[in-house]
Amino acid sequence: MADSPPYPGRPRWVKVFGIMALVLILLFGILLLADPSRHGTGRHTQSGDPGGRTPPIEHGVQQP
Amino acid sequence: MTMTPRLRKFVLTAHVTSSVGWLGAVVAYLALAVAAMTSQDTQMVRAAWIAMELTGWFVIVPLALASLLIGIVQSLSTPWGLFRHYWVLVKLLLTVFATIILVLHMPTVSYFAGIAAETDSANLGGLRGELLHAGGGLLVLLVTTTLSVYKPRGMTPYGWRKQHEQRTVSQP
Repeated sequence: MADSPPYPGRPRWVKVFGIMALVLILLFGILLLADPSRHGTGRHTQSGDPGGRTPPIEHGVQQP
Repeated sequence: MTMTPRLRKFVLTAHVTSSVGWLGAVVAYLALAVAAMTSQDTQMVRAAWIAMELTGWFVIVPLALASLLIGIVQSLSTPWGLFRHYWVLVKLLLTVFATIILVLHMPTVSYFAGIAAETDSANLGGLRGELLHAGGGLLVLLVTTTLSVYKPRGMTPYGWRKQHEQRTVSQP
């Protein structure tokens, strides 16, 4: 049985893509640290369960 | 897992439809967010928020889940696999990421839609966040669509090993 040929390595586009993703994640993290009120868990879970407060279907019913 | 050619084509059609539908729904959502952000009309802002909530829960979330699940089933039933080629792997990671952010963000949309429905004020916060989420989602979906069409070369170490194993079996 022949030996497995050596793995040629990651293609360049994957490396470029990975670096871009890393930069975006870091940028987003810095923005969050600079102003946490703009985004994050506080915004997604505002004082309990924002989604449960007003179920989607009921809005149309509440409106005249 | 193998599929008949007819079933494979059906699953591919379902995957393309759900993925492109997701992209189109995000563009519509973005248009609503821009309209709500630029309009001075209270009724328009309220209507936009309510429409964004309905579009999000009843169109975007189902299409995102369908695209993800059908894509996984499809990749496992073709020689492309799920972890063999980088373009498939990157697509999977981006789709999972976008779906998680979407599902986590939708309660916030419901929250603002609830405020819009209950109050007369058009001065709602969060619209900048909507543009960021919808714009980011659109970017991710454009990248996944491009990857699907171009299918750039590149195998993962796992895919490379599997390919060699299959060649060894077929050429004893």
